[in-house]
Amino acid sequence: MKIAVPRMGNLSLIIRDLAQRFDIDYLETPPFSEQTMETGAALAPEFACLPLKAVLGSFVEVLEMGADILLTGGGHGPCRFGYYGEIQRRILEREGMEFKMVVLEPPSVSFKAFHDSVRALIPRQRVRLPALAREILLVLKKVVVFDHLEKRALALRGLEAEPGAVGGALKEAQAIVSGAFTRKEIDAARLEADECFKRVPLERGRPHLKVGLVGEIFVVLEPFFNFDIDRWLGKRGVVVERSVNIADTVYPGGRNPVFGFTDQAVAKAAFPFLSHEVGGDGLLTVGATVIFAQRGFDAVVHFLPFTCMPEVIAKGVLGRVSSELGIPVLSLSIDEQTGRAGVETRLEALLDLAWSNKRKSDKVILQLEPVP
Amino acid sequence: MRVGIPRAMLFHHYGENWLAFLEALGVEPVVSEATTGEIITAGAVHADNETCLPVKVFSGHLLWLKERVDAILVPRVISESHGTCSCPKFMGLPDLARTLSTDLPPVLAPRMDLGDWSYRWAREWYSVARTLRAGRLDSASAVAGLVTGVRRHKVRAKTNPESGDLKVGVAGHLYNVHDSRVSLGLLDRISSMGATPLTVDQVQPHRARMHAATLSRKIFWGYESRLAGAALHWSRTGSVSGILFVTSFACGPGSMVGALLEDQLGREGSVPLMTITLDEHAAEAGLVTRLEAFIDMLKRSSRSNRTTGREVATNSVGGAGLE
Repeated sequence: MKIAVPRMGNLSLIIRDLAQRFDIDYLETPPFSEQTMETGAALAPEFACLPLKAVLGSFVEVLEMGADILLTGGGHGPCRFGYYGEIQRRILEREGMEFKMVVLEPPSVSFKAFHDSVRALIPRQRVRLPALAREILLVLKKVVVFDHLEKRALALRGLEAEPGAVGGALKEAQAIVSGAFTRKEIDAARLEADECFKRVPLERGRPHLKVGLVGEIFVVLEPFFNFDIDRWLGKRGVVVERSVNIADTVYPGGRNPVFGFTDQAVAKAAFPFLSHEVGGDGLLTVGATVIFAQRGFDAVVHFLPFTCMPEVIAKGVLGRVSSELGIPVLSLSIDEQTGRAGVETRLEALLDLAWSNKRKSDKVILQLEPVP
Repeated sequence: MRVGIPRAMLFHHYGENWLAFLEALGVEPVVSEATTGEIITAGAVHADNETCLPVKVFSGHLLWLKERVDAILVPRVISESHGTCSCPKFMGLPDLARTLSTDLPPVLAPRMDLGDWSYRWAREWYSVARTLRAGRLDSASAVAGLVTGVRRHKVRAKTNPESGDLKVGVAGHLYNVHDSRVSLGLLDRISSMGATPLTVDQVQPHRARMHAATLSRKIFWGYESRLAGAALHWSRTGSVSGILFVTSFACGPGSMVGALLEDQLGREGSVPLMTITLDEHAAEAGLVTRLEAFIDMLKRSSRSNRTTGREVATNSVGGAGLE
């Protein structure tokens, strides 16, 4: 009984934690590769979006490695993600593979569906409900810590004095937090992980750009598909903040502890441009772009999988956001054909634009201030 | 006061109700003309390049209305029935409409959430009525008329051209299938080839719902659920000889439902299924060739079944399920 879960950002760290906590036999999904995408794209429906194809390719790989339970997320629309599991199950069965697909319904669908899908993996005999609830809350706490570490790394990477220092600190910090399981341990690990970042030498005075990263969670978080945008921007001295995080997605009540703006605040910011929920991360993309613009960011990069329904609406609306709020926005739609060079050229152009805007506005400020 | 309604997307479902609403308010409704090549081109140029064909067509209609009206009505249809939702494109349609052009007349976007049995969305229609300077009483009665209209709403099955005994189920969105420019005259072409096309609106909703409920995972998009249910109904009752699944380029739910139908019908050993993807480049020759091949194949298989004594229509008693 080997369970496999698709990869997405630091989800693998969380899965490892869950597996240790509940003593689940699991198989680590290999990172995405050209081969994964080829397999996935060959099997998936032509107009399915990129995450479906990527995850499908990944499932084929883990099934060949000997997994027999595939765990994926569910939902009740309107985003296509809620139907992924069903389509992938049918495609893989057609290919003659033997496995069991467990679709983890989010509690927002119904609490019973969520509980039932959890119980398909962790039987009642092994872990009773109070223990299960307690452990899940602890995992939630840990997810928030993991995402805070990433947020910190994104903010510092552009200012590091020696290249790779922040990356090293992040690895170290993640290892420290991974080893913490109880509430006390997690709190202690959090403080200790903060120390790792404090040791990194920084050049705080260096002139830098601030760029917001918005879009569909899978392509924003998975470095294989966004061409490692975090590090790419960091290397060019850009301070990055992103709107989507795993913790914000799973945290109940729309609190968004990592992004720092509640769902209501995001909806309010987006309202003049997009006044209704459109599923997926569509509303968050628009709201976060407005918030980034208000906070004085220099540019926003929007990642979306090709034909993603909520993000295509967001992309249409972002043009208006960009012109009315005067913030450069670059929408990059990613599919299995997207090449690194094309993306990087456009990103470079965006950074040039942002720099020239920044210099222009700096000059205006300089003229206003008396020269010493 | 002239209020425009684009003749696209859900106008093909609820157009009559919307028109009745506007007429009850005493404003002059203007419906854009039937889709033309220019409308599609204008839409494809101005709308975001990644949106699906129906949204581009919708954008074209909206731009056609721009100079001719004082306001445009773009209802935001959230759900089709209880427990379903509509495609995200419908939810964001008014917001996409507002980005099309800077000198657009005001876009009125009342919500229409047919799954909400308490009709909270009717309030938004009331405020739209008031912004159109209708009196309180007139507004209230127009909204009441709309609510009863959609509650009793049935998409009135349009009579499709009939010819021949061979029946072909056309499983596609009504706004694609009933728009003869977008579908390149699909229904007429089928009938000119000697087959009778059946569309999704001709299958009674409860039958479609019943068959859709047998799927292993519920389709949460209302319109697509109905479409898949209709296709399953046709296939299981044997009321058609073949099914055409008509989708449009970059249609999100279509990509999922198409794959699902292909698999499900394959498992059940159904009638032949062919997928046709429509786009704005309107390549008629490609469509005609594929249609001819498909219908020839259906004709041949029904002929060979008849000669071997296996009547295709033996189990087509369910054909009575058509409205």
